[in-house]
Amino acid sequence: MQYSFIKPRSKGIVSPEFKLLFFFFSITIVMLFSSYAFLKVKSFMYDSTMDDLMSKSATLKVNIVSMHEDITYIKLQRRHAEGIYTENTVLKESIHNLFDLVPEKITLSQALLKEDELVLYGITPSKEVYEFLLQAPLRSIFHRSYTSYYAMPNGWYSFVSKNYLDRPVQ
Amino acid sequence: MKFHISRQMIYILTLAVVFLIIVFIFAFVFLIPSGKEYRVKRLETKKFSYQVDQIQDEYDNVYSKLKTLQADNRHVISAYKSIFNPTRFSTMYRPHFQSFTLSELTAHSQDGKFAVYEVNTSSLIQSPQGFYDFLDGVNKSDNIIGVNFPIDFKRDGDLIKSSFTMHVYVGNPGHKISE
Repeated sequence: MQYSFIKPRSKGIVSPEFKLLFFFFSITIVMLFSSYAFLKVKSFMYDSTMDDLMSKSATLKVNIVSMHEDITYIKLQRRHAEGIYTENTVLKESIHNLFDLVPEKITLSQALLKEDELVLYGITPSKEVYEFLLQAPLRSIFHRSYTSYYAMPNGWYSFVSKNYLDRPVQ
Repeated sequence: MKFHISRQMIYILTLAVVFLIIVFIFAFVFLIPSGKEYRVKRLETKKFSYQVDQIQDEYDNVYSKLKTLQADNRHVISAYKSIFNPTRFSTMYRPHFQSFTLSELTAHSQDGKFAVYEVNTSSLIQSPQGFYDFLDGVNKSDNIIGVNFPIDFKRDGDLIKSSFTMHVYVGNPGHKISE
């Protein structure tokens, strides 16, 4: 026996309107959470990048300081070495000039060079020869010059000449 | 006109309003602060990255300066590092002398950042030219060597007996120059 003129339709717990609503709600929730997750992940990545940059910056700064120290040390070494080389060259020139200063008539037997002092031992045919040819130029170089003569049996003189440079008082 | 709202419609509207409220709460409590935090961090990272780039540029400049300096002063740097070898030194400079003797190397003093060692020498030369050549050669030796006073030249027959002191300068072993 039939009680209705229409065919019965199946009726679910959730109506199609609710399903549509839940579908849009779900999409909204997914979008919200994915945006939130994106922001959080990006923030974390920036934190991590910042840590890396800070560590890199600290390392670079330490290396820069260390390299500046190296540069200063190399410059110091170069200056020091140049000073030593110059002193050696000046010493060579000084000795060269000293030996060039000695005339052929005078024979040196010993030359002792100290920081501010020059002691010469030698023989000269006469006191005048020594005084004109060697003592005069020595006097122009040194502040004080003292010479002692010793007569030799052959008429020549052996001499000891002590010459001093006075350092200016600081 | 009669406006009929079904019960289902009321449910849907209520649900939509509740959901909207939840969305707003979520946006204001979590999403917007996170967005702000993200923007601030992005800006900070960009700014700091620029600073690090500048530091990197400075590092590159200093590095290239150091390398140029090292290349230009290779001999001086290695000379301050090398250990004085009396045998090698005698062999190298013996040709300038008739005889050449070195005393034992002794610690002498400290010259700033450099340790000074002293070595006494006695030699026989035919003419002062040998001594001049030696002084020229010393400036090109493997070590930093200064010839010091007192220098004594004494006639010994046809030869000149010379004795002098040399100072060998060694760099501070604590200071290692980065390669």
